[in-house]
Formats: sequence, structure tokens, C-alpha cells
Amino acid sequence: MASVALLVVVVAGASVGQSALRSSDQSGVLIAGTTDTVTNLDPAGAYDYGSFIAAVGVYQQLMGFPNGAKLQPVLATKCFAVRSNKTWRCNLRRGVTFHDGSAFDSADVKHTFDRVIKINDPSGISSLLGNLKSTKTNGKYAVTFNLKSAQSTWPLILGTSAGFIVPSTYPAGKLQANDQAQIGTGPYELTKYTPGQQAVYEPFDDYWGAQAKNDGVIARYYAKSSTMKLALERGEIDMAFQTFTPTELASLRKAKGLKVYAGNGAVIRYLVLNVERAPTNNIAVRQALAYAFPRQAVATRVYRGDVVPLYSMPPAGLPGHIDAFASRYGRTPNLAKAKATLRAAGLSTPLPIELWWTPTHYGDASADEYAEIKRGLEKNGVFKVTLKSTEWAQYSDALGRQYNAFQLGWFPDYPDVENYVVPFYRSDTFAANGYNSKKMDNLIKASLAAKTEAKRLAIYRQIQRLAAADVPIIPYWQQKMLAAGRSNVRGIPTTLDASFIMRYWKISKS
Amino acid sequence: MAAKGTSLRQYALTRLALVIPMVFILLTLVFLLMRVAPGDPISSALGGRVPKEEVDKIKADLGFDRPIYVQYGDYLADIARGDFGTAITDRREVRDIIKENGAATLELTFFAMIVAIVVGVTFGLLAGRFRDTWIDGSGRMFGIIIYATPVFFLGLMAQLFFGSYLGWLPTSDRASPIVDATLDTHTNIYTIDTLINRDWDAFVDVSKHLILPAVTLGLVTAGVYIRLVRVNVIRTMKDDYIEAARARGIDERSVVYNHAFRNALVPVITVVGLTIALLLSGAVLTETTFNWPGIGHTLILYLQNRDYTAVQGIIVVFALVVVLASLIIDFVNAYIDPRIRY
Repeated sequence: MASVALLVVVVAGASVGQSALRSSDQSGVLIAGTTDTVTNLDPAGAYDYGSFIAAVGVYQQLMGFPNGAKLQPVLATKCFAVRSNKTWRCNLRRGVTFHDGSAFDSADVKHTFDRVIKINDPSGISSLLGNLKSTKTNGKYAVTFNLKSAQSTWPLILGTSAGFIVPSTYPAGKLQANDQAQIGTGPYELTKYTPGQQAVYEPFDDYWGAQAKNDGVIARYYAKSSTMKLALERGEIDMAFQTFTPTELASLRKAKGLKVYAGNGAVIRYLVLNVERAPTNNIAVRQALAYAFPRQAVATRVYRGDVVPLYSMPPAGLPGHIDAFASRYGRTPNLAKAKATLRAAGLSTPLPIELWWTPTHYGDASADEYAEIKRGLEKNGVFKVTLKSTEWAQYSDALGRQYNAFQLGWFPDYPDVENYVVPFYRSDTFAANGYNSKKMDNLIKASLAAKTEAKRLAIYRQIQRLAAADVPIIPYWQQKMLAAGRSNVRGIPTTLDASFIMRYWKISKS
Repeated sequence: MAAKGTSLRQYALTRLALVIPMVFILLTLVFLLMRVAPGDPISSALGGRVPKEEVDKIKADLGFDRPIYVQYGDYLADIARGDFGTAITDRREVRDIIKENGAATLELTFFAMIVAIVVGVTFGLLAGRFRDTWIDGSGRMFGIIIYATPVFFLGLMAQLFFGSYLGWLPTSDRASPIVDATLDTHTNIYTIDTLINRDWDAFVDVSKHLILPAVTLGLVTAGVYIRLVRVNVIRTMKDDYIEAARARGIDERSVVYNHAFRNALVPVITVVGLTIALLLSGAVLTETTFNWPGIGHTLILYLQNRDYTAVQGIIVVFALVVVLASLIIDFVNAYIDPRIRY
């Protein structure tokens, strides 16, 4: 019976959507290009950026980033810690309906979180809820989250894709397939999805919040940014977000009728140093690299200003960020100090070092980026750099085990200093660089249990200073959030912020 | 006559029986190559994001830590049941990928083949007929250049000139966004679907989208035909029966068109079958250049993510198409030429 009902919804949704697209004036439909790929639309089966952006207009969380990088209640009216950071309670918004017409309540919230944990999808999304012990309903409009250990950032976890609320009708133990109806509470209904081609979103008439500023969105997926650029220039698409090369962006800036917008970004790039493998197991080598690292040259010569030098793992602009590396090693490369540090440790210069990078996963500019880094580090004979690269599939499998210095990038699960610090510096870091500091682990533990925001941020500043001293990682740039649009597209800048969410519902076409 | 029939039947049966070891070897090679290549789908998706222990646990949950012969046995058993499996990365059934994306490739290669035959045969016939004239020189030069040009380069030039500079044709995708969004699909072959729907505007739109990719892929393949047809025409024009036709006073136009050209085209039929493999490999690059969501374009995405199941399924289908085409060509040849027997 449930499946029949679902089928009716799918068919009705599809036909309503299509007829609306056919009959109405289509000039208000926003057509957006992206080179992202979508794995699964069901939030319980996706832990990648492309799928997150595909789902963000359809599904909503209890807490989220609807208006910028500041966490706000969305389907909750308030979330707060009960006694300690081990128990969190959320009061829920009333009068919210799902796209299938059913009412949203606490049973849906419990079902959502239980389901993510039960499915335990290979995408790894359930790892975000690794600290969740149980979810309990408190009447129809409140829920309690019991955690395994204190976590001051729990409300931020609620704002990730693991927290996208699905209705209780979603199967508990398996994913809703991409060709089935995706039912959320968001401003858009997904009316058609063709894998690798496009997703069609239409405004949800019974949306509880402000209606979308456009008549719908068609997201087009491109394999190559050069093809997407041509489509944008020809007017086949209205805007494009993610990801052009620096050269393409420079060309788009000069193109008539187009505009490139930049806002605060959240994506960072960093060099991981294995503290157990020679020569980076020697702290003097790591510190010398930190002294000599050519951040400005990479930002200006390779990325033409679309990225800015980064002096700590959390990007500038996030509360709690400090320029820890700049304070310790200077803002510009100091080759004399780099050389002196190596010599003081009894090492001769130029010191041979291997740097690994991967050609396509982090964009086509990676080759130029590492050529520039090599040039910078070899200046004045400080290092003798050998660059090595391999495709991502091999690279991702080998990075901690075979490479001693290697490129990685990060876009956050949520825009908070914690998400740029804890995964990287705790002793079981995914970077597998062998960094294991008791002092650091204690600071991390204290940060998660901190009861006030001021205390929490103070600990994160300490963590950044310690990380700059130990140098297990050298952060080197943060990217601006960039999007290009035709001149008749309005509102793009309102969604370019450190949350890194493309809120299509805020964009209109004149 | 009876002897010929028996012999042909034996040939056909032997040829069919050979398909089985051929496909088996192919399945084994695809399986082994995917496992030998470094990397795996889980590390590719989660590496640089999730701790190694968690990645290993997920791999174990999916059975990737089992002995390779066990995985191989399961793989063969699934294929024998006609189950190509489900892609690891996006959970699409491989048969759906083949059905949906395969239709896009079929549409592209069909029209590319038409372009290849029309251009290749026309230029080849003209070059052969007017041997050692400027027409021959131009035709040969065109054939060599077009065959030597990488398909992605030709595609890019076509996009820039006809799409960006002249603005005549769309540069990517199978249809405009609105058409794509509203198209009711029956076969997933858009030209047919728009005709079934009697949506003429949509038909024009999808046809326009088809022109650049089909012409690009078709031209590259045409290079093979031009040279082949030219050589055949030159050889046929020297045959005794042509001289005999001339001696009988048949006018030159009739000799050339009704006798020489027809016979010169017979070997081309064989080559058309064999170029299916060439077309399919070319389609991978053409689809990527034009964002054409065919099976080749999809294959590249799955390869990048080391999605074993999807890559294995797609390559097996590619190979089966080529095997089937070879089989048909062999049957046709054996039927036409009684000398071809085991």
C-alpha cells in the first residue's frame, strides 16, 4: 500500500512538474551548471559535496545555514544542551509539511537519525553521527539526542547532510533510490533527475518558509569545465558554480554579459607532513618547510587571486581563527631562517625532499601549484624538491602509508573552526601522518567539552599555536567561493559565504 | 549445394562456440585488470576524509577483503545469471546504466556511422574515380588528416567554431535544459522519443544537439573509409569485366556507377562492422568532449572512482557488442564467400 502511495506521489509529482515547466513562461527557471557529480540523493547514502548541493533545496535539517555561515534553527525552533554537552534537546517547528503532504514531527527526526546509523552506508556519512548514542522523542514536537561523549559542536552536526530530515515513510534499512521520489520539507521538489545529466527542481507550493525567488532550477552536470564555460558564454545556462580553472575564470571576467562573483570560501588546501617518515620526521625539516613555503606566489601566480594565503587550518573569517603560522614563521617566505633551521639541526642544504600531488582531484591547476611550490622551496638552495604525482584512485589509497609529504584539500562538513582542527590533529587523524600528541589530544577533548563559546574558541587558538609549532600539516591557501552568472541573474552574492552552500532559491532571473 | 549448406552450418556453429571462450577470457581479463590497478572505490570516495581504519572496515563490509578467487567466482556466477550488479558509487543498476546511457551512445554512434559512410564513401569514390587528379589528392589528404586528428581536438575545434564563434549549434548535451526536463522518454533515444511524442520543436532541438558530436565522430571514422573505398575503386576499374563492359559500348557513366562502384563497395561492408569497435572507443572521447551522457562518458566517471562493478559491466557490454558485430560480419562473409570455412 505504501509503495502504491509512493508511486502515486512520484507520478503526480513528475507530471505536475513537467506540465508546469511546459505551460508556464520558462524565463523564470534558473539553469545552473556544475562540474560536481552526484552519488546518492538520499541523504543517508551520500557524503560528497555534489550530492549535498543536489539535496540542499529538497531536504532540510533541524539546524542549518539558511542565511549565511551562522548556524540557525531551521526545522527546530531551538536546540540546547541539557545539563552537559552529552545531552541535547531540540524543540521542533510546527506546521511544516513534507512534499508528500504529510506533517513533520518528532517521529520523522528519530527515524532520520536511526536510519542513517542503521544503513551505515559505505559513503561514510554515518561517521558524522559516530558520537550519537540514541535519539528519543519528547512528545510530538521535541527530541533529545543522547551522545556517547560530550560534544559542544553537536548542533553543527545537526546541520550536516547526515541531519537532513526524511519522512518516516522512508525505508528504515535501505536507501531511497535516485529514481524514486525524494521527499523533504525544502523549498523545492525534485521532479526529475537524470544521472549525470540534470536535476529539475520546482518550487514547493506548501513550503513553510519564504518561497523561492525563481520558478524552478535546472541543474546541469558537466564532465569538463571547458564545456560548461562554453555553455555559459553561449547562454545555454544562466550561471555556473563549481568549478572553473583559474584561466577560465580570467576569461569569464573579460566576457561581455557575464560576471564572476566571489565570496568568503571554506575550501582549503594543505600539505601533510608524515612525522614518522624521513626526512619529515625531523621537526627542523617541517619548520624549515613552513619558513620557506611560497603561499603568495601560489595564490597570485597560479590562482590569480582566486585563493588567498592561509596561515592556519581554519580559514580566516571563522570565529576562533588565528594566523598561527604567520605569527611563528612570517607571512612571506623566509629562506634565510629556513636554511638556518636546517643547518642548526645538522642537515646540509639543499635538502632533498619528495612532494606528492594528484593531477585532477583538486583541479587542473594542481600541476602549476606544485611547480610553483617546488620553485619557491628550491630558491636559495634550501631544498631540492622532487615532485611526484599519481591519479586520485591510487593516491587516496596510498597517501599515509607511502608518501611523506603530500597534497590534500578539505571542504568542511560545517563551517566551524572545530571541523578544520579536530579531524586533522587528533591522534587517529585520517591524514595518517603519524602525528600523535598527548597535549593536542587533551586540548581537543577539552574543546569538545567546553561549555561556553568563549572557552571553546580560546582552546582552538591554543590548538592552532601548538599545530604551528609541531607542523604536522602546512595549510597554504583558502579558496574564495566563486560563481559566474549572466548579467540578468540576480542574488548570487547572497549565497557566497563560508558555509559553501549554493542556495539556488535565493537567486532570480530578470 | 547440400555440401555447401552443411559446411556453412558447421562454420557457423564453430564460430558461435568460439564466442564462449572469447567472452570468458574477456570477463577474466576485465576482472583482473580492475583488481590489479591500484586503488579501490572506497578509498577513492573517502580517502583524505575518513580515517584509514574506517575505510578498511567499509571495504570489509562490502567483501573487498575476501580472497580474489572468491570474488571472481561470485562475479562469474552473477554474470551467468545475467546480473551485472549495482554500481558501488551511486547504486545504479548496471543494466539501467546500459539501458539509459547505452541508448545515448547508440544514438550517437548510429548517426556518426551515417556521417562516416556518406562522407567516406563519397570522397573515396570520387578519389578513386578521378585518380591522380586534384580531386584524388584532396580526398586522400582530407582522409589522412581527418583520420590522424584526435577526436577530442576535432570536437573542441567544432565547438569553438560552430558553437562559440558562429553560434549556429549547441556545444554540449543531448538537448536544451527545458527540453530535457520536459521530454517524456520511451526509448531513451531522444530523436525517436521526440518523434513518438510528436514534439517537433523538441525534435529540432535534439537534432541540433546531435550534429556536432555525430559529425565529429563520423568524420574521424570516415578517414578509414575514404582510403579503403578509393583503393577498391581503383582496383575494380582495372578488372576485366569493366573492360568488357566498355568494349560492349556501355557508356562510361553506367560502367562507373553500375558496375565499378557497386563492386568496390562490397569489402566496405566488412569494414563497417569492424569499425564499430573504433566508433565505440571514439565515442568515449566524443561523449566527454560534448558532455554527451552516453555509456563511454559514464565509463570514464566510474573508472576515475574505481567502481569495479560498473566498469566491469560496461566493458563487458562494450566487448559483447564488438564480439556480436564480428560474428555477424563473419557469417555474412562466409555466406558470400564459400572459401571461408574452418
